[in-house]
Amino acid sequence: MDADPSRQVRVRFVTKLPPPLRAPPVAIAVPADLSRMGLSEIVNSLLAAAEPDHKAQPFDFLVDGELVRLPLQQFLLAKGISAERVLELEYVKAVAPKKQDEHCPHDDWVSAVDGSNPSFILTGCYDGLARLWKDAAECTHILEGHSDAITSTRFISKGVETDGSLHIVTGSKDRSLRLYKCDTPVSMDYPKRIGAYKILRGHTSSVQSVTVDPSRDMLCSGSWDSTIKLWAVEGSEEDGDAVSLKKRRMNSDSSGPEESQLEGSATSTLLGHTQCVTAVTWPEQQTIYSASWDHSIRQWDVQSVKETWNVFCGKALNCLDCGGEGSSLIAAGGSDPVLRVWDPRKPGTLAPVFQFSSHSSWITACKWHPSSWFHLVSSSFDGKVMLWDLRTAWPLASVDSHKDKVLCADWWKGDSVISGGADSKLCIASGIEIV
Amino acid sequence: MGHSDGEHQLEGDDLSADDASWSDGVWSEDDDEGSGSGSGSGSGSGSDADSDEAAAEESDSSEDEVAPRNTVGDVPLEWYKEEEHIGYDIDGRKIKKRDREGRIEAYLKNADDAKNWRKIYDEYNDEEVQITKEEAKIISRLLKGKTPHGNVDPYPDYVDWFEYEDKGHPLSSAPEPKRRFVPSKWEQKKVVKLVRAIRNGWIKFDKPKEENNLYLLWGDETDTAENKRHGLSYIPAPKPNLPGHEESYNPSVEFIPTQEEIDSYQLMYEEDRPKFIPKRFECLRSVPAYEKALREGFDRCLDLYLCPRTRKKRINIDPESLKPKLPSKKDLRPYPKTCYLEFKGHMGPVTSISVEITGQWLASGSCDGTIRVWEVETGRCAKVWNVGGDVRRIAWNPLPERPILAAIVGHDLLLINAEVGSEEVQMRAKELLKIDEMAPQDNTDGKKPAVRWMKHEKLDGITLIHHKAVSNVEWHFKGDYFTTVVPSGDTRAVLLHQLTKKHSHHPFRKLPGLPVAATFHPTQKMFFVATKKFVQVYDLQKAQLVKKLESGFREISSISIHPGGDNVIVGSKDGKLCWFDTDLSTRPYKALKIHSKDITNVTFHRKYPLFASSSEDCTAYVCHGMVYSDLNQNPLIVPLEILRGHSSSDGRGVLDCKFHPKQPWLFTAGADSVIRLYCD
Repeated sequence: MDADPSRQVRVRFVTKLPPPLRAPPVAIAVPADLSRMGLSEIVNSLLAAAEPDHKAQPFDFLVDGELVRLPLQQFLLAKGISAERVLELEYVKAVAPKKQDEHCPHDDWVSAVDGSNPSFILTGCYDGLARLWKDAAECTHILEGHSDAITSTRFISKGVETDGSLHIVTGSKDRSLRLYKCDTPVSMDYPKRIGAYKILRGHTSSVQSVTVDPSRDMLCSGSWDSTIKLWAVEGSEEDGDAVSLKKRRMNSDSSGPEESQLEGSATSTLLGHTQCVTAVTWPEQQTIYSASWDHSIRQWDVQSVKETWNVFCGKALNCLDCGGEGSSLIAAGGSDPVLRVWDPRKPGTLAPVFQFSSHSSWITACKWHPSSWFHLVSSSFDGKVMLWDLRTAWPLASVDSHKDKVLCADWWKGDSVISGGADSKLCIASGIEIV
Repeated sequence: MGHSDGEHQLEGDDLSADDASWSDGVWSEDDDEGSGSGSGSGSGSGSDADSDEAAAEESDSSEDEVAPRNTVGDVPLEWYKEEEHIGYDIDGRKIKKRDREGRIEAYLKNADDAKNWRKIYDEYNDEEVQITKEEAKIISRLLKGKTPHGNVDPYPDYVDWFEYEDKGHPLSSAPEPKRRFVPSKWEQKKVVKLVRAIRNGWIKFDKPKEENNLYLLWGDETDTAENKRHGLSYIPAPKPNLPGHEESYNPSVEFIPTQEEIDSYQLMYEEDRPKFIPKRFECLRSVPAYEKALREGFDRCLDLYLCPRTRKKRINIDPESLKPKLPSKKDLRPYPKTCYLEFKGHMGPVTSISVEITGQWLASGSCDGTIRVWEVETGRCAKVWNVGGDVRRIAWNPLPERPILAAIVGHDLLLINAEVGSEEVQMRAKELLKIDEMAPQDNTDGKKPAVRWMKHEKLDGITLIHHKAVSNVEWHFKGDYFTTVVPSGDTRAVLLHQLTKKHSHHPFRKLPGLPVAATFHPTQKMFFVATKKFVQVYDLQKAQLVKKLESGFREISSISIHPGGDNVIVGSKDGKLCWFDTDLSTRPYKALKIHSKDITNVTFHRKYPLFASSSEDCTAYVCHGMVYSDLNQNPLIVPLEILRGHSSSDGRGVLDCKFHPKQPWLFTAGADSVIRLYCD
């Protein structure tokens, strides 16, 4: 630590990381013009002094809950923090993908991706097929049946269910939702083709977004016909109601010798949006959030099927996700390069609490990290996937592996970001350490 | 004043005081004095009187010297009548009254005494005063009106001390004339005149402004105000440059160029060469005559003579103040400004685009012989039809449940099913597009029929074979009727077609020029036909001309109707756009010269107060065009944004522009075979 005589700041490094990564909590003087790389070096050398076999790694530094993105002196000036006192610098592991892979070639644009299952990745494609990829390597299942591009897919069950099968719902531009059931213990050289066991019809235009409620009993879908429909997952073979049975019979005539398909209809419809509903999310049992091209985000009460809250942002919205602190912040992006975060608990104001504007084109997807309150991923037509931290306005990292528009993105296993785009690729950026 | 007056007065006074002179107080006082001094002499010795006289002669006023014995002052003496004293002397002692003599005694005394007539009784001091002879003489002289002293000559001979006889002075000894003492009548008249002038304000008493007496001693004479005041415009001659140090006869060494430098001047251009090369002379005597003096003098004269003496009049106006007051662009948001999405896939210039009414799909036609349908949200090409000919124009049926595209392919019109929407919608569309092979038309007049409805086998659609090339197609808002324009079709130039009945007719027989475009009123049964110079407004029900809008352009290229129906914008082939308020006038309300090349299309937004124009100069222009429901308020037009991005291909730029029906977005189709979406 060469002491620069011009300006020095006394800092103390603290952390919540486990002991091998814990630096001695003594105040040391560091040059004031250090940026986070220099600070990172200091911490690494401190750690190496304590433990010789320490491997150097990048760290990020927090001052009063804000990530340091400028040289320390400028940061303190900008934030109006006194440089006289001992500055407490909390360090966390830097969030950046260590590895970027291009896996899983598709036949057409990848329009939907779901990474909520730790062992499988679910993708939807413009060729009307949804695919299941085991460990991001091999395609185990191909879910067929849609006659038009798939726009949204979801695992209904988080993990592998007791009977060893996965339940999946897909929404498509052919105006229907399909439910699939996949058996997980597969050991085949070629992907298994599976047809839907249930078709949910009712939308009069493309289904844009599908989501599952927390209890996994209900589905919700938003469509170009500007309605949101709620569907019951139940109605599988054993307790299919009369209507669906009847329809099955009718359907069986036309569908021929294929395996029998159930049909279901919506349990309720949420009316209120005036244009295409592009995104729906169901964070709590009683609440649905929806985003639409009519520039609004609406909150719906499931029981009363009523709109309870709304916010207008002035731009057509493409994506929406709930997460963050207490899973109550709403992130949404749309027809401009700004990712906005609202706090519906904040009374009186409808202005976004955070705005992230490093993208250069429409934002197509945004997702909160499943466990962190601060981390977001967003994808955009500019071909970039960006990682965000609420504690700084700059992106943590940008994944440039796509050559064309990125249409969807999600977290996978808590440490990877998966994204699909118009270059028919599914990209996986892994090794993102979020503690 | 006059001497004579004074003399008269004196005389008059004397006369009037004649009777009372003896009893007067003035006289008595004089007598007192005399008697005072006389009493002393009367009671004492005559030497006293003599000394008194001497004293009187010596001083001017004997009165001051001899104070009265009594000191009671000027009080009535009656107060002391009953007392034994008459007053008090200067020491405060009482002055006793003398024993009063009896009258007879006094009379006798008077008779005896020869001097008695000179005696006077002084009541104040209770004394008898004897007047001296001289005093008596003076008194008697005064009584006679003579000077007190006999040796005074009141009328001495006038001695004329001034000698004027030989002096030549104009003085006259004539008495002052009367007019010298009487106020002058002429002066009075003059005063009256002045008073009147002052009252009427002809004469002012404001001090005249003091002229500035300062002047620039070394200033330029030509610049003074005097020169400017002349009627002819005076322009000062331009000044010759002042000489510098190097032009001195003996400049410092550093000014003198070396021989190399002088040689290097030869390499320069004639006009770049320095005019003067400094030289050094020991003394002024050795300076030769300036060889160019005559030449330069002549040049200077020539300059002055040839100088164009015109005065430019400049008005200082802030150019900003001449601009009309427009609202700020910030307040007019949203409007398209940034391109976020490009629709790539066409292989030739995209000639026309049309957005589906819900805003989900975009159809485009291109010179590469394809019609494409794009997904607006992702820019993905959803469908391609190869129609085998240049697609000139494409229009999406405005009903969401009728996904039918009308496209002009080559010479004819093609109706195809866009194959979007649910099955039953597509079924219905298919049914609409079903046509039995046409029964032979009534060919009685022997002419080729204007339109034949034919089945298009390959694309499962309908072709409307026109008798001549079609240039434009436009749907009615209800989605059943549509119109096509055949510019060279004479009386059958504008055709109306009905989709459900597969029927066509041509109601407009007479048009003032070649028709360019035709369109329906967005809400009423009206019809607009744009010919090269005019826009004709027809009432479809009454089948008559309602209005004729005069654009003043050489050639109209496109027309768009405001969703309210009362305002029309027209784009022309010389890059101008004009806005008609049909309620206001048949002349343009505003004309905007915004493009440098032909305008290819103009369009209104259905929801937002926006309109746009696209041009061959590779730009599209977005303007704010607010129409107020208040009829008194004129539409507000504000240019907002120039959208660039398309590149020129074959000299053609942007060929079409359409607004998204629900979002403030603009699609532009370029000759560079790209469709761009500009978002707010």
